[in-house]
Amino acid sequence: MKSIDCAAVVSIREVVEGHYLLTLHVPRRYLRALPGQFVMLRIHERSVPFLGRPFSIHRVYTRGKHTLMEILFRAAGAGTVACAQLKKGDTVVLTGPLGSGFHVPGRCTDMVLVAGGMGVAPLMFLAEHGAMRPRKRRRVIHCYFGARTASHLYRLARLKTLCTEVKVATDDGSLGYRGTVTDLFLMDLPQFNPNRTALFVCGPDMMFRSMALIMRGSNLSCQVSIEERMACGIGACLGCAVEDEHGIYKRVCKDGPVFDITELHW
Amino acid sequence: MKVDIGGLVLKNPVMTASGTFGYGEEYSSYVDLARLGAVVVKGLSLKPRRGNPPPRIMETPSGMLNAVGLENVGIHSFIETKLPFLRNYDVAVIVNILGETIGEYAALASIADAAAGIHAIEVNISCPNVAKGGIIFGADPDQVLNVTRAVRKATRLPVIMKLSPNVTDITVIARAAEEGGADAISLINTLRGMSIDIHTRTPHLCTVTGGLSGPAVKPVALRMVWEVVNAVSIPVIGIGGIMEASDALEFLIAGATAVQVGTAHYRNPRAALDVCEGIERYCVKNGIPDIRDLIGTLAAGGACRV
Repeated sequence: MKSIDCAAVVSIREVVEGHYLLTLHVPRRYLRALPGQFVMLRIHERSVPFLGRPFSIHRVYTRGKHTLMEILFRAAGAGTVACAQLKKGDTVVLTGPLGSGFHVPGRCTDMVLVAGGMGVAPLMFLAEHGAMRPRKRRRVIHCYFGARTASHLYRLARLKTLCTEVKVATDDGSLGYRGTVTDLFLMDLPQFNPNRTALFVCGPDMMFRSMALIMRGSNLSCQVSIEERMACGIGACLGCAVEDEHGIYKRVCKDGPVFDITELHW
Repeated sequence: MKVDIGGLVLKNPVMTASGTFGYGEEYSSYVDLARLGAVVVKGLSLKPRRGNPPPRIMETPSGMLNAVGLENVGIHSFIETKLPFLRNYDVAVIVNILGETIGEYAALASIADAAAGIHAIEVNISCPNVAKGGIIFGADPDQVLNVTRAVRKATRLPVIMKLSPNVTDITVIARAAEEGGADAISLINTLRGMSIDIHTRTPHLCTVTGGLSGPAVKPVALRMVWEVVNAVSIPVIGIGGIMEASDALEFLIAGATAVQVGTAHYRNPRAALDVCEGIERYCVKNGIPDIRDLIGTLAAGGACRV
């Protein structure tokens, strides 16, 4: 039987205005979580919010005997605002890890990460996995990271240590390329060999749509990690339906949240 | 803990509510299905249904709205690909069926009847989220009578009619179901509701309105179950906002023979089993040897202080 776990809040801090980094003390099995997977989280013994909220896993690591998991999120609606008010020592109820993770094909020598805003959360986890590989088998990791403004380029320094190269874009031009991260990536697109490059994308809806357009003219394999409102997280409520290329509804929680970009209807 | 629903004996009175528990398999790694009174699977139609476009759900105070629109694999695919899994468990399997015509309801019932491993049929005449079928049948007593008769004729399995709360007088509908030959009545399905995003001034759901469920609906559900218990002589299954054992006990005391746990599963995949264990503890603590001794024991005098 899979367990539903109580996890203590180790720390929570606002990393950028309205954006939070939540660190939880989790069971050891979370060390096997794959980048791209998520958890359903609700606040223990609180009826508001009523339903759990899905959060992608940002990082799992050990400190001493403890296994810690980080979740990076933006306080956007009632559920995430309530989560932002958690305090050290509070308890949350976790179901997970859930869903599919990113799949890095064996033949791939180059990974390209395209992150928009909080979309960096699962991609940094992926970069971390990549950086942990033995030196001989390590892949080249190219990262494109975009946000509204420089201060929203969360954990850029850490990202730079994990990736071979990081290029940034900001809407206001306060750092790096002025414009969208997809435009920045598009300029470099021709340099990637489709036979040995895999692309991983996470960000806001608009960004996925742009990437889907770009990918139509490319042979690169591209995986996206998407989000949708969901109630159960385990494939039962059918709340998180997204339309695939054939007009069939897929469940983000169970069939995803990682999909091949060509699999979905944009 | 045993109860009898129109000839179907359940090991305990706690079932899963249709539409909230998938086809059982989704929850099987979180809860031992064999310990449940029954698994009621997602509503099935003759042909697969695509369901409504997203967004399909929205959290509301103490509950949620859904407009899934009866997305399902269709009864044939269910029998071929989903039912074999459930046969591995010693648990009653109840299929929930939905037709667009009376003929479809009858056809669904006879298909279910012919399949091994189905123990009862719950007839959904109450879905608020589809254009055809569902509530169109559930709100008209003559139609309820006709659908019930047609299903009754098509199967020897126990027939449970699942009623909608979106009617003026639930007892009229319940009596029609009884007259049509139903073995039991389950209620309530979701209440029609709505929610608006004030920033975009758009509805939160693609279909504008949806079905409200969760603890927000419990008092309404309890009142309706109590009314129906007093109006018919067949067993009644109480549904609506049951989150924990105390909620289920209220329904049983009001006269429900069994209960279904639904939306609670989204908060806690083990909810039905937790409710069941809680009922057992209550019975032990209060010296109730047989759950049937508790059912319908609401004190006649009420709570009024003289």
